[in-house]
Amino acid sequence: MNGYFVKRTLQAVFTTFVVVSLSFGLVRLMPGNPADQLRGQLIRNNPSLSQQEINRRVANYINVDLSAPLHEQYIDYVLGILQGDLGQSISQNAPVTEVLGEALPWTVFAFSIAILLMFVVGISLGSIMAYWEGSRFDVGSTGLGIVLNSTPNYVTGLLFLYVFGFILGWFPTSGHISSEVVPIVNPLKPVATFQFVADAVYHASLLIGAVVITGFGGVALAMRGNSIQVLGEDYLRVARLRGLSDTRIALRYVARNAILPMYTGLLLAFGGVIGGSAILEQVFTYPGLGYYIVAAVEARDYPLMMGGFILITLAVVVGAFIADLTYGLVDPRVSTGGDSA
Amino acid sequence: MSKTSSTLHERQSSNGTADSGSTGEDIILECRDLSVAFEMDRGTSRVLHNVDIDIRRGEIIGIVGESGSGKSMFASALLNAVVDPGKTSGTVTYHPSDDESDPVDVLGLDKGPLRTLRWEDISMVFQGAMSSFNPTMDFREHFVETLDAHDYDVVEGIERAEELLADLYLDPDRVLDSYPHELSGGMKQRALIALALVLEPEVLVMDEPTAALDLLMQRSIISLLSDLRDKYDLTMVFITHDLPLVTKLADRIGVLYAFEFAEVGNTAEMVENPRHPYTRALLNATPNLDAPLSEMRPIEGSAPDPVNVPAGCPYHERCPMATADCEDVKPPMELVTDTHEVACHHWRDVDDEVPLSVGVER
Repeated sequence: MNGYFVKRTLQAVFTTFVVVSLSFGLVRLMPGNPADQLRGQLIRNNPSLSQQEINRRVANYINVDLSAPLHEQYIDYVLGILQGDLGQSISQNAPVTEVLGEALPWTVFAFSIAILLMFVVGISLGSIMAYWEGSRFDVGSTGLGIVLNSTPNYVTGLLFLYVFGFILGWFPTSGHISSEVVPIVNPLKPVATFQFVADAVYHASLLIGAVVITGFGGVALAMRGNSIQVLGEDYLRVARLRGLSDTRIALRYVARNAILPMYTGLLLAFGGVIGGSAILEQVFTYPGLGYYIVAAVEARDYPLMMGGFILITLAVVVGAFIADLTYGLVDPRVSTGGDSA
Repeated sequence: MSKTSSTLHERQSSNGTADSGSTGEDIILECRDLSVAFEMDRGTSRVLHNVDIDIRRGEIIGIVGESGSGKSMFASALLNAVVDPGKTSGTVTYHPSDDESDPVDVLGLDKGPLRTLRWEDISMVFQGAMSSFNPTMDFREHFVETLDAHDYDVVEGIERAEELLADLYLDPDRVLDSYPHELSGGMKQRALIALALVLEPEVLVMDEPTAALDLLMQRSIISLLSDLRDKYDLTMVFITHDLPLVTKLADRIGVLYAFEFAEVGNTAEMVENPRHPYTRALLNATPNLDAPLSEMRPIEGSAPDPVNVPAGCPYHERCPMATADCEDVKPPMELVTDTHEVACHHWRDVDDEVPLSVGVER
């Protein structure tokens, strides 16, 4: 058990390290740099400023020593990360940890709901499709699922925004909460907490809708395939002959064995979708992790960009790590080295 | 448990005498005109064709046939468990052992009573023991859910399961707390037999229970089965393609060819004096280390297509004794002795035409 745990942990750490190094290098390969960006901004905003004044201000803003050799910047950076210091955001004028720390919960909140919904809808639909295999419902759902699944979620997002946000005006088109709602999560004040959560869900609903609509088809098709396979297994026939109730067979036999292979997919989806949140959050002006990453890229804000990339990497790595460590708990066939090793 | 590892000859002869006393009287399962058909694009596939057979209480009957001869369909039909879209016709009548109960028309039962009949009265062990268990459930839960589904007392039932497992030389605690992937094929097969017997059925239908096992495990399961039969007063229908194997276990043997019985008789008669040329060919085709290679004969040709069974005797295309009669007239079942019947026009002449090699150990 310990050996397995240590091995997986080391792998996760190593993966993170490699991605950190890669992103550090890749970010610096992007054309332009924060100083140029800032200089351009200053000139645009204050055309009357003299060259010396601009240079002075730029040096003031950027306390990152961009002139130092790359390897020194790299070592400084890695050492900083190890101390929990992701640096100072240039464009937001605040520590990166603070900017991202504020944004991340919103992304996790919105996308967790979205992914859970996506899996619930997909798995239910997939099971029904499998039970009615070959019916008109099955064929229709398969087609619909493929079409929706092949639509990029930002296209659906734009469409939703246009129809439900602007034309119908049912949903807010930006932000995470209404300005008059106080962000509070306190069990002693259930009404205020409920108001806050409900308002947050309301603001995130178009985004959630876009993720669910474009994602559930794939889940449903996977579930359908798995279920059909399980329905053909010998043990299902034996279970029916043994006189087990249909409910038990559906839940304990078909659903359990069909969902299991999707467990890792679910955990990886969390990581993946947080990474893929950038464009969607931009579309919905939803100030989460992805929103700030896009902002950082536009401003050539290296520290913020790097911080965002590291968080995404961590999300994927942690998802895979949790899946690795817990799979043995949900599937007895997979031993995580616990009992028999 | 009583270690009745008696030799075959002793067991067979003792059962032989017991049987002859009650022949034709104490029937537990009565099949008449039993047919199974599947509608397919290219025609109706009749995978079991007007089978008549009586299965006697307490006997072990071996059903032998090559691949695609209808063995598994016969097994499923006995429990009215033919998979969709197969249609089962004819009758299967089950006579419960207590005298008050009326005979049960198995094929006419509704869903509820059928659910009760299966496993409580007639139970089944499948060919694929390896895949007969839910991979994400331990064995205890398999037993418990079965007992629950039939409203049996779970505590008592688990005690019975433990005893059954012990009878089958398994360590009950270890097995019950294991998951299917943790046991070997032979252990799973035995656990499946225990699961099939946990509701104390009268009849146990086994469809190729030893097919996936090695020779040693096959032999040991065979001897365990006859012990179980003695201990629990079971009737067993043992379906296999392995004629030599079943001669070591069965009281009677039925040979299926092309979806109907070609020959049915007491084991001793079937082995020593088979009358159907196909039975003989099967015996002669049995690989045996002691028999000279020149005496081992594969059967030429292949089994008939279920959509298009030849007219007359279904075996005539492969039979060395076939005459014009065989091509046109279907041979009826004729009695050779009281305990031996055969469907062949020329069963009297079979000794001359198809000599029996010494292939099978008797």
